[in-house]
Amino acid sequence: MQRMNLCTDIGASFFFTMRTTNPKWETGVGSVNVLEIRNLTKKFDDFIAVDNMSLNVREGEIFGFLGANGAGKSTTINMISSLLRITKGEIELLGKNIVKHSHFAKMNIGIVPQDLAIYEDMTAYENVKFFAGLYGLRGALLKERTEEALAFVGLGDKHKSLPKNFSGGMKRRLNIACAIAHRPKLIIMDEPTVGIDPHSRNYILNSVKQLNEMGCTIIYTSHYMEEVEEICTRIAIVDHGKIIAEGTKEQLKAIITDTKEIWIGVKTDLDLGASTLEELKQVQGVTSVRMEEQMIKIHSKAEVNNLGRILQQLIQDQVEIRTVEEQAPNLETVFLTLTGRNLRD
Amino acid sequence: MNIWNIAVKEFKSDLRDKRTLFLMLVFPIVLMLILGSALTNAFTSGLSVDGMKLLYKNEATAGELVQAWEGFAQAIGQEGVETTSVTEGADGVKEVKEDNATAYAVIRDSGIQFYGSSRHSIESNILQGMLTAFADQYNLAAAAYRTDPEAAGQILKQAGAQAGFVQETGLEADRKPGSMDYYALVMSTMIAFYAAMSASYLIRGERLRKTALRLSAAPLKKSELFLGKVIGNTLINVLCVMAVVLFSKFVFRADWGDHMGIVLLALLTEVILAISLGLAISFIFKESSSTAVLMIFAQVASFFGGAYFPLGELNGFMLAVANASPLYWINSGMMKVIYNGDVQAALPVIGLNVGIAAVLLVFSAITIRRREAL
Repeated sequence: MQRMNLCTDIGASFFFTMRTTNPKWETGVGSVNVLEIRNLTKKFDDFIAVDNMSLNVREGEIFGFLGANGAGKSTTINMISSLLRITKGEIELLGKNIVKHSHFAKMNIGIVPQDLAIYEDMTAYENVKFFAGLYGLRGALLKERTEEALAFVGLGDKHKSLPKNFSGGMKRRLNIACAIAHRPKLIIMDEPTVGIDPHSRNYILNSVKQLNEMGCTIIYTSHYMEEVEEICTRIAIVDHGKIIAEGTKEQLKAIITDTKEIWIGVKTDLDLGASTLEELKQVQGVTSVRMEEQMIKIHSKAEVNNLGRILQQLIQDQVEIRTVEEQAPNLETVFLTLTGRNLRD
Repeated sequence: MNIWNIAVKEFKSDLRDKRTLFLMLVFPIVLMLILGSALTNAFTSGLSVDGMKLLYKNEATAGELVQAWEGFAQAIGQEGVETTSVTEGADGVKEVKEDNATAYAVIRDSGIQFYGSSRHSIESNILQGMLTAFADQYNLAAAAYRTDPEAAGQILKQAGAQAGFVQETGLEADRKPGSMDYYALVMSTMIAFYAAMSASYLIRGERLRKTALRLSAAPLKKSELFLGKVIGNTLINVLCVMAVVLFSKFVFRADWGDHMGIVLLALLTEVILAISLGLAISFIFKESSSTAVLMIFAQVASFFGGAYFPLGELNGFMLAVANASPLYWINSGMMKVIYNGDVQAALPVIGLNVGIAAVLLVFSAITIRRREAL
């Protein structure tokens, strides 16, 4: 609670200019596109990593970018951040082509890379100050913005410490501070919560929401579907370099009204044979079956009433059933249905 | 301004890197101390000769000769030769054989009979030389006596009184370095060359730390990053080399000659050469293999540059290989500047360093520009 007050106080001055110049943000998502991607393609020799992708991100959105490893989301992010050259197509930031107006684009983008991009031999303060300095901030303003960014991520009292003495969560927060001190209009966060404890994850998620409330547009990628479901206003699902679905959570869930998910809890020490899972797959209407810890997760066509047949099969295989639930469609179901694989695959 | 930001950051990071500082400061000083002390004799060109003992028996009857001999004995006594007349019945030759004397001489009117010790050949040769000089002067006086007795008397007087029968004359006019002087120079140039190691990590390090991504996303030109890195790394390395040079000068009393400015300038160009070499190799070879290549090159260059021990005169294949070692031409040039006072010898060294560095830097700059990412 104390942290939130601190961030709010800082935030008020932190993004004040942005709020006043664009009052629409007061009410949330605007209609202006911060980012426009048109027919974007990236080739690495013969491999097409991004295939003719088109996408718009509106002002004030937290835009979820979902895709399994190798789907092309990092390549897309790297092209938006000018880290990779565009093979074909174009990207506009606030109406300006990012290749022709590279300096403008870079000044208005903050990137939180998936890998920690900080110097372990420099203090937290020096890290943020150094990177903010690259954006033209100098003197008292640089000092002020550095302190603000550190306070925003809750590292104000650790500014003299070296990151090598930080926990994973603190390093992740420093990684964010380095990306926001120059007050970018678009912040790209590539799996900012990977490998950290729940407390730090909550802190980061709250920070993301707060940055958004202050007027920042955010592109957010994560392997944790529940995070995306919690904070993102709009989501694009990427597979094999293409956007296969795009919309709000509700719009995406509506795509798969013809699918249901059945979770069956089984005895803890049960070692299910592959044959049982294979037999379940043969049940009419079942599209996929997977085992996660003590839970059998079954996707099935919604219109087929096959629960009785599924349970009968398990009883026949002498599987001890503990619970049976029919899940409402969630993003994970959507993702699995559309791509045929889990997000963490 | 970004160049300055990068340079300062690079300087600070290197300054905090204990391993680099150890390599750049402690390592050369310790090597200097060990090699400089252990190999002192290998660098000493002089020979200490003392304790020469000449036994003699004066059987001469000519008064002039007896008088001249006494004067001679007194004169060489002042130069550290102990002259002792053998007592009646004693055997001078036996005394020499038993190592109780360096040489034995019997002076007669007909000449001087000399017995030298084979155990102390250098000392006995010196004594022989002194006696030959005395005999020559006496013979000269005897010859002169026939025509000019007055002049002969003068010669005899000189033969007896003249000191400096052995005059020290250096075979080489140039100054020569002692072991500490030598190792102060070669260690300083070697450590300046080791700047290539840290330079190979300048851009590669950003990739390994993943900070390359953030740097690429910032409004920072590759040229700014490149220049900032080179400047920062040059500054820290030059400071380290200067610290080693000054330490050797004031603590080990190493001789750096009378042209310190030109020596430091040459070392600065060497650091720039090393950094440009390290960068170029880091672009040519993949990741960790560039470190291995540089390590091998640095060791070979150090060996042929005489960093571990002086190689003496090289020719043929060895000379060809040595010429490819920057440390060879740098050390050779600096030796001439320091010990011959030949400032001109620094010019080809500086020219080569700067020329090669320029080519390598241009190569690295073009490579980094062409690369998609850092």
